[in-house]
Order: sequence, then C-alpha cells, then structure tokens
Amino acid sequence: MNMLEVRSLRKSFGDNEVLKGIDLTLKKGEVLSIIGSSGGGKTTLLRCLNFLETANSGEIMVGGKSVFSAKEGEKPKVTPEAQLSFGLVFQQFNLFPQYSVIENLMLAPTLRAKRKSTVGKRETAEEIRKRAEQLLFTVGLSEKADAYPCQLSGGQQQRVAIARALMLSPDILCFDEPTSALDPELTGEVLRVIRSLKDSERTMIIVTHEMEFARNVSDRVIFIADGQIEEEGTPEELFVNPKREKTKLFLSGGHES
Amino acid sequence: MELFLEVCSKLADGFITAFFLFALTLIFALPLGLLMAFCTMSKFSAVRIPMKLIVWILRGTPLMLQIFAIFYLPGLLNLFVWPQMNTGWAWFDTTFTTRFIAALVAFVINYAAYFSEIYRGGIESISKGQYEAGQVLGLTKREVFFKVVLLQVVKRIIPPMSNEIITLIKDTSLANTIAVYELIYEAKEFMVVKGLIWPLFVAGGFYLIFVGILTIVFGKIEKKLDYFKA
Repeated sequence: MNMLEVRSLRKSFGDNEVLKGIDLTLKKGEVLSIIGSSGGGKTTLLRCLNFLETANSGEIMVGGKSVFSAKEGEKPKVTPEAQLSFGLVFQQFNLFPQYSVIENLMLAPTLRAKRKSTVGKRETAEEIRKRAEQLLFTVGLSEKADAYPCQLSGGQQQRVAIARALMLSPDILCFDEPTSALDPELTGEVLRVIRSLKDSERTMIIVTHEMEFARNVSDRVIFIADGQIEEEGTPEELFVNPKREKTKLFLSGGHES
Repeated sequence: MELFLEVCSKLADGFITAFFLFALTLIFALPLGLLMAFCTMSKFSAVRIPMKLIVWILRGTPLMLQIFAIFYLPGLLNLFVWPQMNTGWAWFDTTFTTRFIAALVAFVINYAAYFSEIYRGGIESISKGQYEAGQVLGLTKREVFFKVVLLQVVKRIIPPMSNEIITLIKDTSLANTIAVYELIYEAKEFMVVKGLIWPLFVAGGFYLIFVGILTIVFGKIEKKLDYFKA
C-alpha cells in the first residue's frame, strides 16, 4: 500500500507558479530524496506537505486516507491528525531556546496529552519522558538532556530537532535541507543519524544538496526543476544514467545552489 | 529636625499614593497593552485601524492632557461627573478618592498604548521558524504563543519595558494636576503653605530611591532570563 500519495499538487505565490502539478507516491519504509536547484520548488513541496503552505489545488493522501484536498479557489481545512501525519526537520533547527533539550522533546507530546481534543490513549508524563530519553539515546545525545540549545553545536541542535520530530511518531518524516546551515565538519554526524533512522517502518522525504548522501541513503530520487518532477528513479538510474538534459546539467555542476 | 520628620511623614503618605497609582497602572496596563498589541497586529482592518488610531492619539498627546480629559470631559459632555467623594475603599492609610480613580484610568490607557508598541515590536521580532516548528509539532496557535513565543518576547522586551516602568513612577506626579495627593502634591503643599522649597528635593530623593530599587529588580530579572539566547 502507498504510504503517501500526492496528486497534481499546485502552488502559486501571486503570479509565480512554484509547483506545477506534482504527482508522487511513496511506499511505507521508503526513503525519497528530492534534489534540484534553488527556486525549483522542492522546499515548497515539503512545506505544502507539512501544511506550512497551503497548496492551491491537489490532493494529499496518507495511508490511503485523504488528509488534504483542494480545488482552485477553495480554502481547505487541515485537521490536527493530518498535521501530525507529517514531521519536519528544518534547515535552521528551530529548537525552542528557553527549553532544555529534553523539554524540547517533551513539550508537544505533553501538550497533546493534556489537550481536550486529543482522541485515543493519553500518554503519562512518565511515558513521555521515557520515550524522550530513548530518542536522545538514538541520536547520541543522552548526556545533553539538560543542556539548552544555545549550549549545543549546530550538528547537536539538528540531532535534537530530529529526535523532537520523532517524538510525535509521524507517518512521514521530512527533512528540509537538514545540513545546509551547518559547518562542513558537522554535517557528518547529522547524516549518520538520518541514515541510522532508516528501517522498514520509517518513511522519509529528504530535500538535500548532499548528492553523495542522497545516493547512499535513498531508495528513490526525484529531480525537481521549474516546479515539475523532471526525472525520477533509483539513485543508480538518476545519478549514473540520467536521461534528461536538465538532470545531466544539474548533476554536472549545478551543486552550487 | 522635627520639621524634617513631619515633611518625611507627609511625603511618605504621598509616596504610598504614588506607589499605588504605579502598581495598579502596571496591573491593568500590562495585560491591556498585550490585548491592544494583538489588535494592532490583527488581519482584520476593522480592528487594526481603529486601534492604531487610538494608540496614535494616546501616544501623540500629553498624558497631563489625557488626565484632564478623563476627569473633566464626562462632566462637560453631560455624561457623568466624577463625584467629589471618597470611594470608601482603603488600603493601609490610603483612601482612594474618585480623583485617584480618574487618574488611574488615564494612566492605564496611556501606558497600555506604549506597552502595546513594545509588545508588538517584541512579538514581531520572533522568527517565523518558531511558529512553524510549533505548528508542525501539532501545537495550537494559542499554545505556540503562550508556551513557545511569550517567554522569548518577555526576554527581549525587558530593557524597553524597564525604561517605561521607570518613567511611570515619575509620571505619577502628573496626577497632582487633578489634586490627587501624591508625592509632588504633598511636597508642593509645603511650598504653598509654609514657603518651603526643600521638601520638593526630598520628594526627588523618594523617586530616586524607588528607581534604584526598580533598576536592581530589572537587573535580576534580566539575569534570570540569561540562561537562554533568544
């Protein structure tokens, strides 16, 4: 079954059409990398999936259920469940500076457990803390639980941000250029963590400029240019034998952006 | 010496009134200012534009004039007259006259207008990423504001707020224009009745000491919020 299905997603900012009808499917446990030059629409696609931008038209389905559907001129509603189907790791980490590392992880699940609208099982504070500790261990930052974001390196902050996103167990975890704001010597630790998250259960979408990483970690790669999917395939197909001229051009020297 | 003690005792009474005016203004104006800040940032122009107009008037005219307006205008417009009597409410030895209430109303709306602009500046300075991180973690807009943004705003606005609050204690002296028996009023009484100038300078000492205390308090708060960068 398809974990994610995106149908003819369109997004314009004023007269500027940034996404010109994106169709995309993703199976459970699949890792998809999105590459392409700046301004091509890859970040906008990710932001539409996370409802930070509202697509003008198109449909998004998660696990066979429609979570977003819009026609031109309508204002669609996003439910809390739809929001939590996706998790997002930002380029700029966006940790909450006034909370310690463990508090950053626990904040959203704690509020969720308290919220009236929450359906189903409510986690206890104890359970939340336990999960937070486990996830910090996963990203290798157990000893930093009580540190504040300003005391951490960029790479450590991004690893905390990854753990924070995982706290809500999203169906699909998205990364928006997770290493672009980092010093080169810090990208390795973040990429290692992302790679370690790969298993048969976890579906991930990674927008990245790290071609080597995309090649190694992905099951599938798409190349977006001018708001459209220009080429799609396995890393082998796309990186070794790109078919389209634009892809060849991008891979031969378009990394600077 | 006896005279000095008499002056100090009178001035202390005046200071208590000034202090209550100061404290009550803060209690009401701090939340009201936040509400006004939200209004000036509203996406509905029917809310935003009138509020901007109100803030413009409140910041654009002298506080003394506003005190007069609040005290005399209702009577001139045949709405009501602030009755010349005691409200009957009393704290410590201070009784709150209706003049005090009128002055308080003027101070609250005037200071709320200034506070609202400080809040607005603080709120708008928080990066969009904080709101977006809250949203993707499933927080409601309310939760994002109160649990994520607010403390960062507080940290950023402490310096301008402490400025305003220090100005406030000195501005309470304007209430003497409608015969609220605050610190300057009491000191002026000695000038008028006994021809003494120096009690005014003693009154200055009262303000100075209080501002010194405020400065220490704000320094402590700043230090307390030093543990994070925002």
